[in-house]
Amino acid sequence: MDEHLEKHLESRAEAEAIERLLRETESVRSEIRQAAASVNWDALPTVIADRALVAGDKAARQAPDSRSWPWLAAFRMKPVLAGLAAGLVVGAAAMYLALRTPGVRDGRDNAYYASGEFLDRAELEMARRNTVDYLEKSQYVLLDVFESAGEGPVVPASVRSERARDLLQKKQYLNGQLERFQMAKAKAICDQIEMLFRELAQIDDELPAAELGRIRGYVEERQLFLKINLVKKELQSGV
Amino acid sequence: MSEVSAGREVEAAEVASLLEKIQEGDREAFMTIIKLYQQKVFVMAYSILRDREDALDAVQETFLRLYQKAGLYRPGNSFQGWLLQMAKNISIDSYRKHQRKRRDWETTKPLDEIPVAAEPARDGDSASSDLRAAFARSVDTLAERQKLVFIMRHYNELQFNEISQTLKISIGTAKSLHFKAVQNLRKRLAPVLGIEP
Repeated sequence: MDEHLEKHLESRAEAEAIERLLRETESVRSEIRQAAASVNWDALPTVIADRALVAGDKAARQAPDSRSWPWLAAFRMKPVLAGLAAGLVVGAAAMYLALRTPGVRDGRDNAYYASGEFLDRAELEMARRNTVDYLEKSQYVLLDVFESAGEGPVVPASVRSERARDLLQKKQYLNGQLERFQMAKAKAICDQIEMLFRELAQIDDELPAAELGRIRGYVEERQLFLKINLVKKELQSGV
Repeated sequence: MSEVSAGREVEAAEVASLLEKIQEGDREAFMTIIKLYQQKVFVMAYSILRDREDALDAVQETFLRLYQKAGLYRPGNSFQGWLLQMAKNISIDSYRKHQRKRRDWETTKPLDEIPVAAEPARDGDSASSDLRAAFARSVDTLAERQKLVFIMRHYNELQFNEISQTLKISIGTAKSLHFKAVQNLRKRLAPVLGIEP
């Protein structure tokens, strides 16, 4: 092999290229090693075993006992009959729902069930609305800063810092939602705003003009208002 | 990757006995199996998902499935292959689900269009991190079977016979897919590596 590579320059170049390429796998392996090193491998088996046992118990509770319901097994064997019976049950239920007189329901009817997908969507929608709300409120605070730096009416600094603190708290709550639904763009803009609010939250006194100008410069340079509006629009349109 | 891999090779008989106990609900046996294979499963999941949290979710999901389906393992086949096959399927499902979610919930505009105040990469690191990113992207864009064989061979450091058991393909096919994967990567990375396409 070595002899061949010495004689044939093309083959040698090819071998070197492949070797260089495969060296890159080492960087990924080191990334995996790093990720693996941060995992608590001693605790994980206990966590999984606990989850498995809980899931097992739940499944056992939910599983129908075919020995005590032999007629159920017969239904499973006869799909046509089962379909007919299901049609009758569904039809009767639909009739009941359509024709029943409205009235006060007792407590049991208040319980409802929703699919995981539905709940996911609902949570996503909530995350979107919370983000839009956060961005809107942030805009107002930033506008206050702008007006303070210009000639408009001035909001007292203590009120402004109070609002910034509220929004910082809100952002803590929002972080989880932004990450869960991978709203990367919204998170990027919210993170930038958060940096500004951290500064504002610490200042209860009026800011000197130079400081206001610096914050204003930061907002303008990063076109924060434009980005906030764009992200809001996208979130509201549900893209 | 040896420090990431399980501490020891496990005898087939030992695995069979542990699986029998798991079916009887033996918690200790289940934890023993997890301890033996959790890191191998993690490497497989991480190689596909490239995210620590998602990979850990996939590890948990894999062992939960093992707990439910321990009775389906056929003695004589490679247990590691069977388990990694489960891990692979779960990871691919998770990868697709995340991709779909990203497509559904994120806008089509790339984030780059809105510059964020991110720290610039240090000069010395930029070339190697560019290459690493290009490499990772290229592996991602390989055809699925080529990608899996490449990942198993180089990240999981499995032998071709183990890959063939995990993917249920012949050893020859595994080798051929690996060759194609390397050729495709070479072609795609030629400009970055400064070699002729």
